[in-house]
Amino acid sequence: MRKEETVKLISAEGFEFVIHKDAAMVSQTIRNMLTSPGSFAETEHGEVTFPEISTTILEKICKYFYWNLQYASGKQTEFHIEPELVLELMMAANYLHT
Amino acid sequence: MAMYIRVKRSKTTYFIQCEPTETSLDIKQKLHDLIDQPVSDQRLILVSTGEVLEDSKSLADQKVENDAVVALTLRKDDNEFEEVNIVRADDFYQSRDADAGNW
Repeated sequence: MRKEETVKLISAEGFEFVIHKDAAMVSQTIRNMLTSPGSFAETEHGEVTFPEISTTILEKICKYFYWNLQYASGKQTEFHIEPELVLELMMAANYLHT
Repeated sequence: MAMYIRVKRSKTTYFIQCEPTETSLDIKQKLHDLIDQPVSDQRLILVSTGEVLEDSKSLADQKVENDAVVALTLRKDDNEFEEVNIVRADDFYQSRDADAGNW
């Protein structure tokens, strides 16, 4: 995995999650940011900051991206979501088109 | 993609895609591509057991499973490895105690 193939997602508290672009592109919003020609600074630096998404939620989202890739490749497991995270997670998912 | 592990240091988490048959050294090489630290200056510790991972052994042999959390420590100037340093998001959210111990 080369550095250019990864993207860094930064949470409201400044925590960083380095994930593969394939995983990040599970989100339509991030896909648009990374693929639209020249219009987002994010594309060049490979960094996306989410000032409104908390660290706990962002990590859960990253786990979901990878779960999604695994699920698509035939490994069908459950994705566990803690009840106390549901509301915030749904709001983030809505924003990310995930 | 067979599995991924979460390698953590300070406030950063690296999601690393890997196979259970890969060795710890393979993981360190992947990290080298991301952080420019030679593999000899990296130490990986499985957080759930506190065991230091050995370069030659496979992930499966060392009970490193999908979604496992592994701490990364780097060699300091005095040639010793630093202590495990992972900042938890919970430090900001005391109200999320229900989540404690749950990565």
